[in-house]
Amino acid sequence: MTATDNRSEELHAAGLDGQNRTALGRLLGTGSVGYGEKGSDGIMRATVRIPEDELIWEPSILVFPEGGEVELTLINDDKNTHCAVLPNNGDPKIIWLVNHSKGTARLSLGGPGTYYYGSTTGNDEGRGLTAALVFGGEVPDSAKIDRPPQPRP
Amino acid sequence: MTDYVDAGEAVSHKTLSATKGNAPATGDVNYERIKGATSEPQNWLTYYGTYDGQRYSGLDQITKDNVKKLTPAWVFQAGMAGLTSGASTYSFEASPLVVEGVMYVSGPEGKLWAIDAVTGDELWRYKHASPYDVSLCCGNVNRGVAVGHGKVYLYTLNAHIIALDAQTGDLVWDVTNGDVRAGESGTVAPLIVKDMVIVGSSGGEFGLRGHLDAFDAQSGERRWRCYTIPKPGEPGSETWPDDGEAWQRGGANCWVTPSYDPELELLYQGTGNPAPDFDGGVREGDNLYTDSTIAVDVNTGQIRWHYQFTPHDLWDYDSTMENVLFDAPDGRKLLAHADKNGYFFVLDRTNGELVRVFPFVDRITWGEITPDGKVTPKVYPDEEGVPVHFWPGPAGGKEWTHMCYSPQTGLIYVPVQEVGATATRRRREFKESIPYWGAGVAVDLDDHYGFVAAIDPLTGEEKWRWNNEYPMCASTLATAGGLVFQGTPTGELVALDASTGEQLWSFQCGSGHHSSPSTYSVNGRQYLAVPTGWGGWIEGFLPGLLGAAAGDALFVFALPE
Repeated sequence: MTATDNRSEELHAAGLDGQNRTALGRLLGTGSVGYGEKGSDGIMRATVRIPEDELIWEPSILVFPEGGEVELTLINDDKNTHCAVLPNNGDPKIIWLVNHSKGTARLSLGGPGTYYYGSTTGNDEGRGLTAALVFGGEVPDSAKIDRPPQPRP
Repeated sequence: MTDYVDAGEAVSHKTLSATKGNAPATGDVNYERIKGATSEPQNWLTYYGTYDGQRYSGLDQITKDNVKKLTPAWVFQAGMAGLTSGASTYSFEASPLVVEGVMYVSGPEGKLWAIDAVTGDELWRYKHASPYDVSLCCGNVNRGVAVGHGKVYLYTLNAHIIALDAQTGDLVWDVTNGDVRAGESGTVAPLIVKDMVIVGSSGGEFGLRGHLDAFDAQSGERRWRCYTIPKPGEPGSETWPDDGEAWQRGGANCWVTPSYDPELELLYQGTGNPAPDFDGGVREGDNLYTDSTIAVDVNTGQIRWHYQFTPHDLWDYDSTMENVLFDAPDGRKLLAHADKNGYFFVLDRTNGELVRVFPFVDRITWGEITPDGKVTPKVYPDEEGVPVHFWPGPAGGKEWTHMCYSPQTGLIYVPVQEVGATATRRRREFKESIPYWGAGVAVDLDDHYGFVAAIDPLTGEEKWRWNNEYPMCASTLATAGGLVFQGTPTGELVALDASTGEQLWSFQCGSGHHSSPSTYSVNGRQYLAVPTGWGGWIEGFLPGLLGAAAGDALFVFALPE
């Protein structure tokens, strides 16, 4: 059994991975992990969807290799209306997602670091429709401090 | 299954608001104009109002006699949405700039607005997206912007210096200037000098080697970087251990805007605490250039002179706060600095020579500084696990919020904090991006108070004092109307008689003040702008009000038309 399997089972056993189980909503950050893919045009692409009655973005954690331009496809497979307000340099982006709809968001985000987005209608964010965009990588050498490499935690 | 309904493409959030999308063209704000900012008091062109850091306005429509009629002209709300970094610690700390009726002000979380300075209407907005997990020692804050060369400059939480078009708010350039993996961030208001824009580093609590940077204001190309901790072999390196890596973690960050003397072409930059803050055993020596004022040649980035206020600091006594430039009656070029360590320093700003030093707070137990500048530490955390109480606490007798100088009275008005703290040394190893304090610290929850001190920098005499139940955690502002404005931690904005300290007016803004008010006029009407929003490093400067109401409103006051 892998550590990932253990974690999923722990969350399930504790009733944290669904709606109206132990608590009211689904614990944030308990969905799956997905990865964005960088195209030949340099744009990183990924797709997230809202499954029926789960109030979660899947995958709820998207990992990108570095900061840059992102094209996100958003699909609402739920039988309710949601939306997404997404971080973006300059101004957040918003898209309205009626039942059974599909749209896109083009984002510009710096890395490394983690950003969150959510559906800002009702308390979708609290019920579980809050998800992460995670960017890896390092800052440019020109921004680094003139000192030898040092220990990371 | 039917085809999906086409939801289209996500649109910019601001398109669903009343923001206008552009600001009127203003005259060019160039170096000559900022140098002469005193001659156009209707505008607040640079962070301190003028290069000298005096935070004094020549506007005199609001006077001692009529200030009691001052009322809100408009209020701007800077609300937040979604999960943001340091969401519980945000504070509205900025000093609004105003150019010909257009206000430029930054808020927490990378927000920046152009606002009609008469009506409060939002002209344009920009929000830089900073990661939720960026290291922030002292809250989700930003102290302001620079305006000039047709652009507005902002230093962001993830250490990007960005330039926006002043009319549209569109991004012109974006340069990464710091390493977020090393715990570096950006909170300082940039300063425009000549054709450059200048910013300093934040991140001393994470063992970051501090630096001050200059960029070409048009292109974003780097002109110079000035490190505030010397490498081995460089002047000042003898104040660090010969062997080891202490200098690499040294601190001395530059998170408050420098003042500037155009004749001497020197920037006066205050530097932050050494790291680790409270454990001096791993960094024997004076630890230059921490806790200092450094005079930096604006053309080259070279340090011309320095004065260190707290050698081998063991109390977190940053000296980042402002250096106010003024001239003595005999013409001597002076610099005033009220340090966290509770002492007020007057230096000759041509060479860094000490002219005068005296205490400006009531309670100093950490040590003593004699009139000739000799420093003697007395109480400090030097034994592992042994609690030590000292005054002033790590937020200092005065923190970053600024004092002001009135040429009318010749007095400097200092916002004073009387708060102590207990530190217990707890040695730890350095790891990148992890807080590196070397102690457990608890700031006193009670036995605190504050006051505005009116100090004659030529004699050291305190001319008057305006007392307050709580410490002063916001910048003062002096005007030619004979007034000093001060915000309190409990939300009141008060106007004081600059000559006597008598309170003449007060308005309850609903949340504590931790910002730098500015004043301006449009069409002959004087306005007073003050961002409110209690937050930031409250646990450091006034934990007794950690539970006070937060807020994020910009109030603008004027006399009735």
